Amino acid sequence: MVIKRTLIIITTTLIATANPITKPSNRLTNSCLNCHTKQKIPSELIYRRYLMRYSTDKKMQKRILAYLKKPTPSNSIMPKQFFLKFPMKKRLDINGSILERDIKGYLDYFNIKNKLKVSNNSLSPIPK
Amino acid sequence: MLVSEKRSLFRFLAIYLSSTFLLFLSATLIFYHYQKHNILDTQRESLKSKAYQISQELRKLHEQFGVPLLYPPSPLSAIYDSDQNYIFGSFNPTNPLWQNESYIQEDKLFYFYKLEPYYLGAKYLLVNQKIEHTQITILQKTLLFFLLVAGLFFTILGIFLGRLFIAPMKESMQRVNRFIEDTTHELNTPISTILTNIELIETLYNCKAKKEMKRIEIASKTLSRLYDDLTYLKLNHNYHREIEPLNIGQLLQERLLYFQSMIEAKSLILTEAIEQNIIIAIDRNDALRLIDNLLSNAIKYNQKNGKITIALNQKRLHIVDSGIGIKEEDLSRIHERFNRANQSEGGFGIGLDIVGQVVKEYSFKFTINSIYTEGTEVTITWS
Repeated sequence: MVIKRTLIIITTTLIATANPITKPSNRLTNSCLNCHTKQKIPSELIYRRYLMRYSTDKKMQKRILAYLKKPTPSNSIMPKQFFLKFPMKKRLDINGSILERDIKGYLDYFNIKNKLKVSNNSLSPIPK
Repeated sequence: MLVSEKRSLFRFLAIYLSSTFLLFLSATLIFYHYQKHNILDTQRESLKSKAYQISQELRKLHEQFGVPLLYPPSPLSAIYDSDQNYIFGSFNPTNPLWQNESYIQEDKLFYFYKLEPYYLGAKYLLVNQKIEHTQITILQKTLLFFLLVAGLFFTILGIFLGRLFIAPMKESMQRVNRFIEDTTHELNTPISTILTNIELIETLYNCKAKKEMKRIEIASKTLSRLYDDLTYLKLNHNYHREIEPLNIGQLLQERLLYFQSMIEAKSLILTEAIEQNIIIAIDRNDALRLIDNLLSNAIKYNQKNGKITIALNQKRLHIVDSGIGIKEEDLSRIHERFNRANQSEGGFGIGLDIVGQVVKEYSFKFTINSIYTEGTEVTITWS
């Protein structure tokens, strides 16, 4: 019985961590995204802004982490005029590695590659 | 046209045409390369404008939030992030050449278009299209046609220039031939007079100066033979031949008698192996010129107390002498008119030229082997 329960826990954990496309963690949602939703700034829009500026997930992750640790107008992806209307967010006191994992989850969720399909030929293999 | 004239003309044409051809070919290749580059540049520009259109499509997709985002299928393109990792595309090339803005691979033109800002996270957009060969093919055909026309023009010009080039030589040869013509005309009567009177003196008078008479006879006969050779050369291309079955053995014996005095004057040892009734179809005068020149050379260039061996059978005439021989480097040119390998004896150097002409006329085979200072071996073979 103990063995069976342990196996279930391990399997569930593995499945959870293996699936990259999961919703952003509750921590991130509560600390950041809720406010964005209230202000009617879609999370995906934020993601697209980061994508347009930094291109790779690695760079985006680094910039988001830097901002969350020390939110300033110069660190933010939003234009300076944005902070004339909206308040600056407070610094997040979340463990660095946990925050990194959460940010990765956020990026994976909105990853553009998952949404792209070749027009009129979506089922054919991509020619080399 | 003489052989030497032809040779000079061909050499000139070979050098002139090959150098002109090389020059034209180099210029054509450079021009072709330049034009092809221009054609490909035009196609590259067209590809660049298609890349711009795709970049506008990417901008629109970046601003869309629906699912799915429909990536433009043509022209074939792929997007890469700032670390050159493949993001997505309508094709996925195995080895893009990052160091070049554009390149050609497997008959396709590839172009890297840089995106700024990074719509869909893409910094690089790689587009490709098949190279359009129509214009290149037209260019190739045009240049080939041009080369052919230019080649033909310069060949005709070269022949014209060549003839101008050999004109002085031709004129010189014509002057010599005219001299021979005039000389032969003047020689005939006095030579005939001398020979006739020598015979009369020997027959009718008991002349004590027999040795001196012999020398006069030999010298006169030499002159007479020279006259015959020159006349033959002068008339050769206009000469009407009477080809008839001729007993070569008999004629050879007659001519040996004719040259007897010269053979005796040098104390030459004559060895004969002449088969009887060897009949071949030949003009008598041609046969005379052939035999006389071979015999006179064997005698003239022989040493005192030397040897001459003459063999005649159904297939060949073979004459060996123990004369001064011919150097190896002179052998190949021995047939040329006025060419003389040895200047020690008198003559114009036309003997073997005449032999060569007769051999050619009747398709005989003429071989000559010689060892300098030891002797010469000549063989005329007929089928």
